[in-house]
Amino acid sequence: MTHFGALFRFELAGARRTRTVPAFAAGFGLASMAVAFIGLSAGGVMEVQGFARTSVSLLQLTIWVVPMLALVTGALAGAECHELELMATLPVRRESLVLTRWLGWSVALGAAILVGLGLAGGVIGLLAGTADAWRYLRLIGVALLLLCATLSLGIWIGVMARARLKALAIAVAIWFILVIGVDLAAIGLLALLPPSKAGWWLSILLMADPVDSARVLGLSLFQTEVVTGPTGAALRRVLGGAGSWAIVAALAAWTMVPLAMAGRRFARSDL
Amino acid sequence: MIGLKELHKSFGGRRALEPLTLDVAGGEVVALIGPNGAGKSTTLRMLAGLIQPSGGRATIGGHDVVTEAAAARRQLGYLSQRSGCPLATVVGDLAGLVARVREVPFEQAVQSLARAGMEDRLECTLGELSGGQRQRAMVELATLGPVAALLLDEPSISLDSEGSEHVRDAIRQARDRGTAVLFASHHLHDVAVLADRIVVLVQGRVVAQGTLAQLALAAGVPCDAGVTDSPIERIYQVLVQRGRTAAPRLTIVRENAA
Repeated sequence: MTHFGALFRFELAGARRTRTVPAFAAGFGLASMAVAFIGLSAGGVMEVQGFARTSVSLLQLTIWVVPMLALVTGALAGAECHELELMATLPVRRESLVLTRWLGWSVALGAAILVGLGLAGGVIGLLAGTADAWRYLRLIGVALLLLCATLSLGIWIGVMARARLKALAIAVAIWFILVIGVDLAAIGLLALLPPSKAGWWLSILLMADPVDSARVLGLSLFQTEVVTGPTGAALRRVLGGAGSWAIVAALAAWTMVPLAMAGRRFARSDL
Repeated sequence: MIGLKELHKSFGGRRALEPLTLDVAGGEVVALIGPNGAGKSTTLRMLAGLIQPSGGRATIGGHDVVTEAAAARRQLGYLSQRSGCPLATVVGDLAGLVARVREVPFEQAVQSLARAGMEDRLECTLGELSGGQRQRAMVELATLGPVAALLLDEPSISLDSEGSEHVRDAIRQARDRGTAVLFASHHLHDVAVLADRIVVLVQGRVVAQGTLAQLALAAGVPCDAGVTDSPIERIYQVLVQRGRTAAPRLTIVRENAA
């Protein structure tokens, strides 16, 4: 009943053929090259930035672009599930249709991130040396974790919304909330709660936002508490060194829970 | 092979299909006819597991389509009235998936598509095909492999005469292989030519069922033996009109009523 491999091959082939994947790879490659090449020009220095500076610069781009792309792609892919009538009449589980759809897009877009950032990383390594290359590699890891989580969330949105346009609108609204809304909520919490209580609430708020989680996880690469913002600083106070693992666990949960909800919903939907 | 017992469906408070009982044996072709909104597609979609019945039971090969969905779908071929797949789907990818799931060689899927004139369109998306080409390709994929029960929702829609003949051939071949075929159609000529039995649905109710001769008798329309002189249009009009004006009074023509 599973035919998981056949479904995965089908979904991966479909995702691979879209223009999104090469465009995403080219976009990330060009962005990282641009950051590496012009990052120091504002200071009057014309040389290629190393991996450490490039990683910091790219982190902000990653936590804005990856969720947007993944939420939109996921929402459209999720809404499209309701058009899979032929597949739904094959001896396969509907949950498998959702899971393989997520997996196909995760692999395709993940490969785009790896290719885009990987090629740029190769050029940076050749021109600026390989010092701090591990930071760059971990940045790629953070981008992949964020991709998996927000793609899953997007698919859930799409399955719930059914219609593409509605799914797209909800995905953009959710992106806005995750990227900006939660920061505003954190500021509000800080203003309302005493510092002794704010720590836990801010940590929970951080876990509740995969984008903020990825941002703090990315900044933790640089062992700096100052720039992680109120939620990141609170997490470090509350959980100490285990904070990074807690964030990874939160991102894993953000991947699995929406996916399970989407599969469950789709399995019970009338097509 | 296909069994419906008191199967019914409501959408919200609206009854889309009144309790329907019907059996289709292996090697038999049964047609569902009726005006738009009569419940034809709803019946097929419940059998295919695409929508949940509100009550009653539907089986494919003796397996309940709700509680034994896997076993039921293993024997099922289904053609949707819609495209059935996103239009960005590549024909070859789809054929590959259906072949793998139905456990037949990919070459067999390609041969099937070649019968529909699609052998050089494997790299095309469904959206790049014409409506007729798409329909023919989907008919071939619906009948690919060990299909014991075939459900076709408007199989001749958007087809020219050549395409319609291709679909009729596919249905005949399925019947000859012992497949139980249940199809819904507005093409009454196809119905007259193909169906061993006809079920007339109006507003979710069965107003008549039987062979063409039995329906002619019920409608009071002379039934000539020749297909080209088939009075099915007249029979259809009489029965549908009767169903609309006196929907609660069902005219069920039994097998032995002729």
